[in-house]
Amino acid sequence: MPDCSATYETEVEEGQNKRVVKCKFCSSIILTPTTAAFSTFEYDLPVMKPNKDSTSPPETENISYFWAVKDMFTFFNVGFSNTVGNTKYLTCADCEAGPIGYHDITSKMSYVALPRVSHSDPV
Amino acid sequence: MAKKTYDLLFKLLLIGDSGVGKTCILFRFSDDAFTTTFISTIGIDFKIKTIELRGKKIKLQIWDTAGQERFHTITTSYYRGAMGIMLVYDITTEKSFENIVKWLRNIDEHANEDVEKMILGNKCDMDDKRTVKKERGELIAKEHGIRFMETSAKSNINIDRAFRELAEAILDKTAGREPGDSVDRVMKITLESANRISGNMSVQSVLTQNKCLPPS
Ligand SMILES: Nc1nc2c(ncn2[C@@H]2O[C@H](COP(=O)(O)OP(=O)(O)O)[C@@H](O)[C@H]2O)c(=O)[nH]1
Ligand SMILES: [Mg+2]
Ligand SMILES: [Zn+2]
Repeated sequence: MPDCSATYETEVEEGQNKRVVKCKFCSSIILTPTTAAFSTFEYDLPVMKPNKDSTSPPETENISYFWAVKDMFTFFNVGFSNTVGNTKYLTCADCEAGPIGYHDITSKMSYVALPRVSHSDPV
Repeated sequence: MAKKTYDLLFKLLLIGDSGVGKTCILFRFSDDAFTTTFISTIGIDFKIKTIELRGKKIKLQIWDTAGQERFHTITTSYYRGAMGIMLVYDITTEKSFENIVKWLRNIDEHANEDVEKMILGNKCDMDDKRTVKKERGELIAKEHGIRFMETSAKSNINIDRAFRELAEAILDKTAGREPGDSVDRVMKITLESANRISGNMSVQSVLTQNKCLPPS
């Protein structure tokens, strides 16, 4: 899927997520509205596809749009992987799809990759 | 300041012999492609889940071991700040049931004394291979005055229910306390969790320990 900022513009209101952030695969709620800050920077996140050789470095994809979360307990549902270097990867807490983002141990910030989640109005 | 999105935060742990299914209880069994991804290779350290109980938004932070139970090296640092413990055995492995008593002692030694416990007899989908009768699980739980349930991580039986019940029991305790009490505890736990995750672990060391493999 193209990393297209135009489609994300409508998701941002006053710098925050306007709508519910959900898992693309099982609709588990990851963030409730207005709990994360829109932020743009470049990061190479391992792909969600199965990787055959678990010992070699994983294939990555460059992501540039994120929902930044300061306090990890802001998440509605989320999984944190074991630590790799200085990073924990984020997953869906209900179907294990991921990485949907990452957590930086030094800064304690978590970043959810916009292209890896879906957005919808609360029901 | 960011607005608070919850009322209470409960830190929960999974404890029990190696192989009883703790990792699978946390890392949902899935037969699809997700089981062989980058994530399943690294393993899940903990999950944050939000549930609603009696009109309160409760965050559950559920931790898995990193495989230390194999070397019987579960100590105070793993138990620190825990408010609830799922004590798991495997209904097809007698030894894992016998060791429940040992784990209870370990908890007494290392965990907070008012920690809420629950015993889970896991793998109840394998009734044909059962060696531990349900009544024995019920009895030992009764003897120690704790809750009991049979579960299956594989067939997703009673997993959500078990966590809800454990959370409810903690809520009952918390409700009896001074209002400020639980808040202090939440803050303390947040700090402790932050400390804990600053500890590093290489991918290699968790590769074999923290994987939820499909049943063989
Ligand atoms: N049939 C069945 N197998 C299970 C269940 N839970 C776990 N297992 C299997 O038991 C083995 C050990 O599971 P794991 O979660 O790694 O145990 P841990 O060492 O306690 O973390 C794996 O082969 C799992 O596939 C269950 O509910 N039913
Ligand atoms: Mg395990
Ligand atoms: Zn999902």
